[in-house]
Amino acid sequence: MYDNNPVNAMEHPPCRVACPILTDVREYVQLIAERTFKEAYASIRKLNPLPRVCGRICTHPCETACKRGQVDEPIAIAALKRFASDGPWKGRYEADVPDKSTGHKVAVVGSGPAGLAAAHDLAILGHRITIFEALPVLGGMLRMGVPAYRLPKDVVDEEIQAILDLGVEVKTGVRIGEEINFTDLSEQGYKAVFVAIGAHKDQKLGIAGENEFEGVVSAVSFLRAVNQGQNPKTGKKVAVIGGGNTAVDSARCLLRMGAETVHIVYRRSGDEMPAAKEEIEEAVHEGVQIAYLTSPLEILGQNGKVSALKLMKNELGEPDASGRRSPKPVPGSEFTLDVDMVIAAIGQAPDSSFVADKLELTERKKRIIVKGPYTLVTTQPGVFAGGDAVTGPATVVEAISAGKRAAISIDLYLRGEPLPTIEPAEEVKREKLSPALVEKTRNFARCGKISLPAEDRLKGFDEVDAVLSEDLATKEALRCLHCFLGARIDKEKCISCLTCVRVCPLGIPTTNKMGEITIDPFACQACGMCVLECPVWAIDISLNFRSKIALEIEQVISRSQQAEPMIVGFFDLHGNFRSTDVKSLRQDYPNILPVMVFGLRRIDTCDILKAFESGADGVVLAGCPPDTDPFPETADRVKRRIAHARTLLDALGIDGARLEVCDMPEKGIVDKELIDGLIQRIKEPVQASSE
Amino acid sequence: MITLEQKNFEEIEKMTKGYNRLLVLGCETCAAMSFAGGQRQVAELASAIRVARKTSGEQGEVLEEAIARQCEPEFVDLIKDDVAGCDAVLSLACGAGVQLLAERFPDKVILPGCNTLFLGVTEELGVWSERCAGCGNCILDKTAGLCPIARCAKQLLNGPCGGSMNGKCEISKDVDCVWQLIIDRLDRLNRLEMLEEIFPVKDWSPAGHGGPRKMIREDLKL
Ligand SMILES: Cc1cc2nc3c(=O)[nH]c(=O)nc-3n(C[C@H](O)[C@H](O)[C@H](O)COP(=O)(O)OP(=O)(O)OC[C@H]3O[C@@H](n4cnc5c(N)ncnc54)[C@H](O)[C@@H]3O)c2cc1C
Ligand code: SF4
Ligand code: SF4
Ligand code: SF4
Ligand code: SF4
Repeated sequence: MYDNNPVNAMEHPPCRVACPILTDVREYVQLIAERTFKEAYASIRKLNPLPRVCGRICTHPCETACKRGQVDEPIAIAALKRFASDGPWKGRYEADVPDKSTGHKVAVVGSGPAGLAAAHDLAILGHRITIFEALPVLGGMLRMGVPAYRLPKDVVDEEIQAILDLGVEVKTGVRIGEEINFTDLSEQGYKAVFVAIGAHKDQKLGIAGENEFEGVVSAVSFLRAVNQGQNPKTGKKVAVIGGGNTAVDSARCLLRMGAETVHIVYRRSGDEMPAAKEEIEEAVHEGVQIAYLTSPLEILGQNGKVSALKLMKNELGEPDASGRRSPKPVPGSEFTLDVDMVIAAIGQAPDSSFVADKLELTERKKRIIVKGPYTLVTTQPGVFAGGDAVTGPATVVEAISAGKRAAISIDLYLRGEPLPTIEPAEEVKREKLSPALVEKTRNFARCGKISLPAEDRLKGFDEVDAVLSEDLATKEALRCLHCFLGARIDKEKCISCLTCVRVCPLGIPTTNKMGEITIDPFACQACGMCVLECPVWAIDISLNFRSKIALEIEQVISRSQQAEPMIVGFFDLHGNFRSTDVKSLRQDYPNILPVMVFGLRRIDTCDILKAFESGADGVVLAGCPPDTDPFPETADRVKRRIAHARTLLDALGIDGARLEVCDMPEKGIVDKELIDGLIQRIKEPVQASSE
Repeated sequence: MITLEQKNFEEIEKMTKGYNRLLVLGCETCAAMSFAGGQRQVAELASAIRVARKTSGEQGEVLEEAIARQCEPEFVDLIKDDVAGCDAVLSLACGAGVQLLAERFPDKVILPGCNTLFLGVTEELGVWSERCAGCGNCILDKTAGLCPIARCAKQLLNGPCGGSMNGKCEISKDVDCVWQLIIDRLDRLNRLEMLEEIFPVKDWSPAGHGGPRKMIREDLKL
């Protein structure tokens, strides 16, 4: 089951540590690199009930943390999530829902990502869930906030449907506090309640003219109308006040709905702007103008309608409590902007009045106070709360994380077990990679995005970004540096021969005076050179570890249909081939038994001999084209090792020509001619000239 | 360290022929560091023998084992059961190891899988060179730290000989004349006057010329 304990940053890759739901990013990225997309999807889906949503709009703290980011650019983790989750292989999601229900009824108030995630996990635990949703449709801000050009509604609907299919009951159009009283829930038999009502109340600007003129609109209601297809009236010249995602999305919607000029008015500078950097860039690309360091003073009107906005410039002062530098007005900098519509997007607070007498709320923004950030217990037994309603406007993945934590707590609560006390993980300051290591690491360009041209975007609400193609996705996944999947030394076996120190292309292993070897598990990139050369097999890596390769050789041979001649093929995953290339290779050459590896570096003479020992008639090793090899400096060693294997084969009475080694073609997995040649040689060996 | 290399496969195949159950035994010190007898080389060689036997139709099982050092009786004794269960042991240690095995297992066929080469240093990965001949009476203090016994083809003590040409030994253009190196180094150290001291005739008995050597430390002996 999902375990919510913070993970140790000294043992887990930074991408995982940074993810609020501890997604095993490295695992699914690796599965994509291995062209096993279905497995990649399963890896994501087992933790995340909304992978297609997250693949599109997650703020991806994992990417900010990714080690590759220190070398060139981080892995496009979110785009890869979308690739794995959008593809046809995902199929219908089947979860293991227990046949027998526990009989406990749980009410989830609010159907945003927090509520959905809790409902999902609780259903899988066998509880009976009802979601109460005030609005006529499910999804919270996913449906009513985020516009379709970033998150198409059918995607949201499909993911929600899969959750409902677990047997979750829904009551839409039921606002707790109005249609049903909060206290009535327990009378109706709900043993526990999860309050995930989000933050939907726009804060007032608090300036003159705000309540006087037609054309002053709150961002939440504007976006809600847009998302419900109500085509709300828009102005021609609009100012959006605020700096969060709500402001940026309002501005981008306005452009799509016929506004001619849209200004975002933000009181601090771009560095402090809370909206995702990518979104800000997209908005500017589409034509949104941003007035930084500017505050509104007054809304002016004519004939009852908005006509202009009076503004003032700011400069940045000292950092405030949130760490952001607070704006200070510049005297005499007032100016006006002609506008006919003003959208207020300066932050939202939860509409929590209906629980005000039961739960503790924060003073100013009326957020629900929870007693433990992990358990999400409130001041009322059996009532748990999470998501934006607790944190204020945050992110989808934080809301999902809250839902998952709530599910754990509620489950324990229903079973009468004590809730764990979880300490937040100690913040680990990981050392930066050394400049020498950064220098030695080969750069590969990030391929994270395929977007509609700006002029096509504004025609409607079509999704702006396309899913990555298989080619791009595998290429991107292959950029992963495999943090913490690398070399581990068995100190009992090590004889301090120093081979690893000498052979590592990145200079990772070091020795002390007594020959004790240290390998930094974060810095190591799991190339496998040391594993192979260590004369006493004191090192292994977790990525394609040695015994796994040996086992795979055995397995492919034992599973083979005895097609003649039997050839074991080692294929480098770094090549430019697709899953279909592997499939057609299997079809065209049923006698070739593929073993996929991250680099031919991983194949030892022992493995080649092992193949022959187990009955192979030939072995082919296909390495990636040089331009895709992350460790091209090792290619020569690999060639020499294979030459050694050939000599050995000759000596022991097997024609060395039965061992073929080649680079893969520019595209595809292997040249047919080469394979045909090898088959030919095996079938009709050139006889030594007769005596 | 002692450097050694695996014998070529044909020779190994010939000497192991007919021993049905063959134990390939590695030595995980010098032999491993020479890439001749560590676990990985044991596995490679054992696998090669199996493939060769399969190809030639010869029967039998090839087993793999390795110990820390074959020159220590305690380590050797740890594998006595494995040895008992086989027809012959192919040792991937130096000659010392092979002989200790033969001594500890008097009734077993013990075969050398390696050629023992020299006492030397690692120049870089995959390159070793001889430095010491184990002469039993070190003179490096007088020769600027370079050994003419191990590194001069004629073992001259008052060299160089007339065959020294452009810093190279007359036996091969690839071999440095160690006496040239000695002179260069003494020059660098400003000790050229040391060359005026003439070495007396060397006593070769500590070098083994007085018969097989043995060392006994009374203070340590049990
Ligand atoms: C325009 C916009 C863009 C955003 N962009 C991103 C982004 O790109 N990436 C990202 O990670 N996050 C983004 N966010 C934030 C993200 O959408 C929210 O953090 C997330 O949806 C919060 O989830 P939640 O479940 O806590 O609340 P919500 O999603 O707000 O859901 C709460 C639900 O509870 C219902 N509800 C409220 N009161 C009651 C009641 N009394 N009874 C019954 N139901 C009730 C509401 O109708 C709503 O459906 C964006 C938000 C907005 C508004
Ligand atoms: S390089 Fe790979 S494992 Fe490391 S942080 Fe990035 S995605 Fe995660
Ligand atoms: S190569 Fe193996 S035996 Fe040698 S120092 Fe490294 S870990 Fe130890
Ligand atoms: S796996 Fe590769 S990168 Fe890691 S220590 Fe070994 S040789 Fe170096
Ligand atoms: S038996 Fe020979 S090779 Fe093995 S440790 Fe002893 S001296 Fe070294």
